[in-house]
Amino acid sequence: METLYQIFADPFVQIVSAPDFFLQVLWEGLVSGVLYALIALGFVLIFKSSRIFNFAQGIMVVFAALTLVGLHENGVPAWLAVPLTLGVMYLLALSVERVVLRPLVGQPDIILFMASIGVTMFLIGFGEFVFGGENKAMITAELGIPTGSIEFFPFGGFVLIEQKDLTAVIMAVLLVLCLLLFLNKTAMGRAIRALGDDHQAALSVGISLSKIWVLVWFIAGVIALATGIVWGARAGVSFALEVIAYKALPVLMLGGLESVSGAIIGGIAIGLLEKIFEIYWGQPLFGGNTETWFAFILALIVLLFRPQGLFGERIIERV
Amino acid sequence: MAIKGMNCLAAGVVALGLGITAVQADELYTPNMTYRTGPFAATGIPIMNGQRDYIEMLNARDGGIGGIKINFDECETSYNTNKGMECYEKTKGNAIVTQPWSTGITLQVLPRTNVDRVPILATGYGFSPMSDGDTFAWAFNPPVSYWDGASMILQYISDGDLDNLKGKKIALLHLDHPFGKEPIPLIEKLADKHGFEFLPIPVGLKEMQNQSAQWLQIRRERPDFVIMWGWGAMNAGALTEAVKTRYPMDKLVGVWWSGSDDDLRPLGGKAKGYKSISWNAPGKYSVIEDIRSHVVAKGNSMIGSEDDLNKVFYQRGVVMSMFMAEAIRTAQQKFKIAKITPEQMRWGIENLKLDGKRLEELGMLGMVAPFSMSCDNHTGHGGAWMLEWNGEQFAKVSDLLMPDRSEIEPIEKEKAKEYAKNNAPWPGRDGLACE
Repeated sequence: METLYQIFADPFVQIVSAPDFFLQVLWEGLVSGVLYALIALGFVLIFKSSRIFNFAQGIMVVFAALTLVGLHENGVPAWLAVPLTLGVMYLLALSVERVVLRPLVGQPDIILFMASIGVTMFLIGFGEFVFGGENKAMITAELGIPTGSIEFFPFGGFVLIEQKDLTAVIMAVLLVLCLLLFLNKTAMGRAIRALGDDHQAALSVGISLSKIWVLVWFIAGVIALATGIVWGARAGVSFALEVIAYKALPVLMLGGLESVSGAIIGGIAIGLLEKIFEIYWGQPLFGGNTETWFAFILALIVLLFRPQGLFGERIIERV
Repeated sequence: MAIKGMNCLAAGVVALGLGITAVQADELYTPNMTYRTGPFAATGIPIMNGQRDYIEMLNARDGGIGGIKINFDECETSYNTNKGMECYEKTKGNAIVTQPWSTGITLQVLPRTNVDRVPILATGYGFSPMSDGDTFAWAFNPPVSYWDGASMILQYISDGDLDNLKGKKIALLHLDHPFGKEPIPLIEKLADKHGFEFLPIPVGLKEMQNQSAQWLQIRRERPDFVIMWGWGAMNAGALTEAVKTRYPMDKLVGVWWSGSDDDLRPLGGKAKGYKSISWNAPGKYSVIEDIRSHVVAKGNSMIGSEDDLNKVFYQRGVVMSMFMAEAIRTAQQKFKIAKITPEQMRWGIENLKLDGKRLEELGMLGMVAPFSMSCDNHTGHGGAWMLEWNGEQFAKVSDLLMPDRSEIEPIEKEKAKEYAKNNAPWPGRDGLACE
């Protein structure tokens, strides 16, 4: 009886009795969701254009953030460190296309996936060799990101919003808008989408595969830098950041591997739902830490009914 | 010539494949399972640097220990239990001691060391009942166990009497990993006995950098104290969230692995008042000056800057290697031989005695509390101090704290017995004399 009460009544009683706390839960869920969406976007972009599930996206986040902080530690001012880091990410994109992808054109998807694991291993080793494994502080203030907090007092309680979380949400929204504009309104963006739809057809109308791959990997690098800055501002920059890439997997399962809007909506949905579930059901019923599995269960349920994810394209193949 | 070269290459490839470690006849091989890479590297690196530099200093200054050099080989695990097992298997053949460097790896290695007859030296970590030498003949966890640590923290926050905690709520924010779960059985028992509410709050490995759910729970539950059992990126994540949610820092107390200068420095004054129990007291010691002149000045250290020498974790690494070195010396003196065997090393650790006089000779008086090991005491239970972050560095804010052994010993014996029963046939001391 008590269990039934904990499942069906107590969470709602808590929400009604402490609405300010519920608002805080929603805000934290939204921030987490936006950050998950950012990571998932990097995966989606590369998969859309090249059918590669880019295992290296997580380490690219670490690599970009460490490059930014490392340049600043070596006396480069923040305003210059950002474009220089973008330059490094462009060089990385160029190298990946030349050294890894170009020799593997036409190979099965699994080979390209394995190659992205190789890129991950290289970046881990190279990154640790250059930057070391120590935790570094993100140059939050130097980048002009406010570090204070805003407090509201609704329903007689309080809601606290960190300015850097707010900045992260605004930055992510702007990045996504720019990306959508680029993909839908520019020739290059349309070329990326064309490649995603049909490689052969895109090549037959003169779209350069190598140029698009460099561009897409570079955009994934830009997203990685943005993700590294906002996650790094929360708990420092170290190789532990790589782990957060795994949080994107259920987002991709839920939203679909090919859909930009799926990544965004999937990320935000998972961020919100896992936080609400953890606070109101997970902690009282399971002793907490349900965030490690909740998103996967949710994605699994979606996959049972829509194997392509909520926003993925239905795959119809002739046999 | 070409054939000779090919042979060498082939031999090299075979040796690599078999994982053979090159060990000289005139040295003692003491492998260390490090994690300078991966999610836990940030906290692992300073400690491993301290461990390595102390041995480098002994090799450079004294020519090793008892006239024989120490081969302090590092095997990288990234704090991954599977890799740790590979490292153990790769190094055990020549090792006189193994340092598994994770509670998860220690638990895996524990049954094997009985068969391989290699002693485990798990300084300040591992399975707390390893203290029971009658059951765990080959395992040692000096100078204090995790249960000792939990007992000392509870005593500190209760002003020496756990009954003062009656009616209070104590949360344990812990890594969801064997290390993080280690203090739970003891705190549960103490909560029942002394009438305080115990609230474990796990943090998953993937949630270390985003602990908003855990800290929302803390905001909702309003515990009187939060004990933190964190490691790696979890520490920085928790401290950042604690500052963000404005949890009073003087009510937040960490275990010794949650007290790294590197985790606190980015927060600076905002984390002022945060406490961490520590079995090494940071300060200026002549042993550090010896390391500076014999290792750092000669460019043989892996530290980033000389400032690292003053950090709590670096100095803890130095103390850890000192325990191992003194156990080697103890065994050498007993068996009158420089190149000791793993069995003799086991005896050396079991009979390790560190008093004030010896610590003074080592240039480490006050750096760690004196303690002695024995056949039935494989931990030493030397005690620890409470350190407080003052905005710039950690400073000692308590006298030496001692665990309440009367509370711990019964559960230690019970769990050791339970472990032996679950892993039957468990050899126990298996004919090893207590001398």
